[in-house]
Amino acid sequence: MLKALAYIFGFLLLGEVTTYFFEIPIAGNILGMFFIFLALRLKIVKLQDVKPASDKLIKYLVLFFIPYGVGLMVYFEIIAEYWLPISVAVIASTVITLYISAIIIEKSGK
Amino acid sequence: MQEFFQLPVFGVFISIIAFAGARELRKKFNYALLTPVLVAIVFIIGFLLIFNIDYEHYNRGGRYISFFLGPSVVALGVFFYEKYEEVKQHLKVFLLSVTLGGITGILTVIIFLFLLKVPGFIIESLAAKSVTTPIAIEITKLTGGIPEITAGIVIAVGIFGNAFGPFILKKLGIKSKIAIGTALGTAAHGIGTARAFEESKLAGVYSGLAMCVNGIITALITPYLLELFLGLVS
Repeated sequence: MLKALAYIFGFLLLGEVTTYFFEIPIAGNILGMFFIFLALRLKIVKLQDVKPASDKLIKYLVLFFIPYGVGLMVYFEIIAEYWLPISVAVIASTVITLYISAIIIEKSGK
Repeated sequence: MQEFFQLPVFGVFISIIAFAGARELRKKFNYALLTPVLVAIVFIIGFLLIFNIDYEHYNRGGRYISFFLGPSVVALGVFFYEKYEEVKQHLKVFLLSVTLGGITGILTVIIFLFLLKVPGFIIESLAAKSVTTPIAIEITKLTGGIPEITAGIVIAVGIFGNAFGPFILKKLGIKSKIAIGTALGTAAHGIGTARAFEESKLAGVYSGLAMCVNGIITALITPYLLELFLGLVS
């Protein structure tokens, strides 16, 4: 478990450092996700060395974003003011996205 | 009493307890709107309001919980590697579907919000509304929006996709489980993926992968699309 955590945080650090030094507009954790995928594909890192930590993190992913969700209370008045246009735009966009994504696979006969 | 609520342990404790309680509730009543994350957030907000506790004070502990979003995104890369073999045979059409779906999701929400005259900082906060919360939060930090608004709406999008996604898609004539899974992951991230697993294991795997791929695509292009679009219209 300790080794797995070291790998996960190591790749996170690598991602953060890359973002910092190259000043690219991508978050360090997203680069870290990309790097660890590459390292696994290229067999630099073994799956069983990282899996104990990654499985636990994904299992509790939902818990980790609760504090941000609670933070919405600070912006309650803004949301209340624009709730109708936000709801319309977000629901319409989500339905269109669902359909575009699904129809491409449906039409390919998969 | 107020001093106790300012201790970091309060924010950590209430987050864990609310989440654990919400999960137990979901086991007893299997109803789409009882998504644990929504119940937990509503409970904590209610508690803070009743006891007149500032969000800032709650977040002294809350930030130790949200810190783990960073390593969790890295963990998604491991998940992607594990499931990659399973989608290999349909990889091209899968990537096409997620890419076009992902771009559609960003462009349509930017255009609709703009046409409805919603202020720019809300558009910046919602451009990445289709992707998993930790990635959406990072994108919003880069685009200059408000991460807390992003988190709230992203969770709402997930719950919408979870509750109505498969129904809408079937009404629109979609039959393929792979199509339903990919669409749910692309448009409604992890909360949609939970529903895709209820449709079938295959749908769930495609959904989880679509969530990862769309996270990367959206992270790469959202800052540029926003700049392009808001630059064009201002």
